[in-house]
Amino acid sequence: MRNLLTVIKFTMKDMAKRKSFIVSTIIILVLIVIGFNVPNIMKSISGEDTEAILLIVDNDNVFEGNLETLKQADLGYEVETSNNLTYDEVKVKIESKEVSEAIMIEKQDENVKIRYIVENATMMAQVPDNIVNMLSTLYSNMQISKLGLTEAQLQTITPNFEFSLEQTEEQQASGNILVMMLMSIVLFYAIYFCAYQVSSSITTEKTSKIMETLVTSTSPRTIVLGKTIGIGIVGLIQLILIVGTALISAKAFLDPELLESALDMSNITPYLGIITIVYFILGYFAYALLYALTGSTVSKPEDIQSANTPVAIVAVIGFYLAYFTMMNPTSELNVFASLFPVSSPFCMPFRIMMGLASGTDVAISIAILVVTILVIAKVAIKIYSNAILNYGTKMSFKDIVNMYKNK
Amino acid sequence: MSLVLKNVSKTYVGKKVVDNISFSLTKPGVYGLLGTNGAGKTTTIRMLLGIIKKDSGEITWKGKAVDREHVNFGYLPEERGVYPKTKIFDQLMYFAELKGMKKDKAAESINKWAKELKVEEYLQMPAEKLSKGNQQKIQFMTSIIHDPELIVLDEPFSGLDPVNSEIIKNIIIDLVRNGKYIIMSSHQMASIEEFCSEISILNKGKTVLQGNLKEIKETYPANRVEVNVNQDITTYIKALELEVENETNNNYVIKISEEEKAHKLLNNLIKDGIQVDKFEIKKPTLNDIFIERVGEE
Repeated sequence: MRNLLTVIKFTMKDMAKRKSFIVSTIIILVLIVIGFNVPNIMKSISGEDTEAILLIVDNDNVFEGNLETLKQADLGYEVETSNNLTYDEVKVKIESKEVSEAIMIEKQDENVKIRYIVENATMMAQVPDNIVNMLSTLYSNMQISKLGLTEAQLQTITPNFEFSLEQTEEQQASGNILVMMLMSIVLFYAIYFCAYQVSSSITTEKTSKIMETLVTSTSPRTIVLGKTIGIGIVGLIQLILIVGTALISAKAFLDPELLESALDMSNITPYLGIITIVYFILGYFAYALLYALTGSTVSKPEDIQSANTPVAIVAVIGFYLAYFTMMNPTSELNVFASLFPVSSPFCMPFRIMMGLASGTDVAISIAILVVTILVIAKVAIKIYSNAILNYGTKMSFKDIVNMYKNK
Repeated sequence: MSLVLKNVSKTYVGKKVVDNISFSLTKPGVYGLLGTNGAGKTTTIRMLLGIIKKDSGEITWKGKAVDREHVNFGYLPEERGVYPKTKIFDQLMYFAELKGMKKDKAAESINKWAKELKVEEYLQMPAEKLSKGNQQKIQFMTSIIHDPELIVLDEPFSGLDPVNSEIIKNIIIDLVRNGKYIIMSSHQMASIEEFCSEISILNKGKTVLQGNLKEIKETYPANRVEVNVNQDITTYIKALELEVENETNNNYVIKISEEEKAHKLLNNLIKDGIQVDKFEIKKPTLNDIFIERVGEE
């Protein structure tokens, strides 16, 4: 136990002191802060501190002065109207940023031509729906009022539909899919890259030939577990730092309304937080021990990548299984993904967030994952013990099996 | 008896790499383990230290089975290694703590040995900034820092300059004086001859020669004579049908099969009035014995 703590302490100190670790953590945190400030930065670059101005030019008086009513409507624009501007004059106003966009209404025989003019239309496929609806509704209302209909008549021809979305399945998923996907990605990368560090750390010890001194100082089991726990703790601190920075930045820099609509935080409870941390730890352990196994089978840094490929493939399969079944969270495949130990760390926290997983489901999923970790640990420690003093070329699968069979 | 290896064997993938090896260290001193590359020295050492399991046989230290957790041993492996990015002091402290030392005692020991090995100035530097020789001294420190009773040194002098070799040699002498049991594996026969009273020579996993070095040498007849004269004596040598092994500036090393012929040569030279500055009948060196024994196999 004493040696385990010594290995954990040394591993944590060694990892936290690494320049690459410090620099990458700082870069990630800075990128998060910048990322949440993008809307503010864009605003300050474009000088759009005030509401965008929409200029509506009706030289032929098609709307018969009714455009003035739009000035009071909440359209997300400050509306300006005119009835004596040419296209060239409108163009100058847009290019000089006097107005952000313009609408020119022209009569052509029996038809009305409406031109929506912006400075650059590259990112637009068509005239925005809100503009089309706004002018169509205004024109219809104008014509209806000309017919002299009463308020009651007007009520009967105005649709008063109430739309609602319902499903036939009993299980009801709730929660914001964007938050879930974001967290799934963060969790996957956190588990994957922390676990990868274990492999790299073991191979480094083999490369630097320190392994023989190390295994005469303490048992291989202590080394593997100490290294895995040490890197895991540093990884967890890094994950908490990243998620914490993201949450604080979102609160500090994002428009509260935008934050509310894009990221519904109401489903993020302390229970979910604890479960997510539990799955991070268990998922990390499963993958870190697999990486400890592969890391011990090579002795050259250039061989790490190929030795780790099978584990990487398993991790990616697990992640995508969770990620894609999340689109249909009530499917049986998503239930399977939440129990299958390869994908459950990336899947179960989100089923909980969606209110689809009962306490029993969570207990079964965790039990399966723990048993899997124990099996992996037994195999990984056995192979590690036999493989660490084996220098030379990368081992084949057959060699690894022989290592396991060796006393 | 303190360390006993009895009929120890190990097989890897159908090949017996250590075959029925036995030896023991009964009192403090240095035991020499010799052999060519692949002779089974490192495997024997790894089994002795419990890094790998033996297939059969018995290894005991003070009558009890040797295991890493309970026997206080130090090990300098042939494969030299340090943590390149970690400060020397930190890595020495790490290994000292793993060997059960308390922080303050470990720090005291680190400073003491750093002074002895003249590496004090490097303690706060990362290992990658040190020369190979200094890195080797650091690793030597790792093997003795926790004051072990049993120390295994695999090629302790390889790669060291004469000054640093001398420092390590003096420390080994002190360790023996302080009652330590040392097993030294080396290809440098001169070092083994200097330190070891008992040796084992291994070849292809088997012991081909074992015992007290002095006694072993006694059993070998003289095989050379070194003569230093003031003129060419080739004709005298040929007359006795002897073979010159080496000749530089009238200093001859001549192979002999019996001492009588060496005396006859000396008589002939003196009779003809040739000035003989040096005449020494030589016993075979450990190197000769090693080549003869390993060559035979």
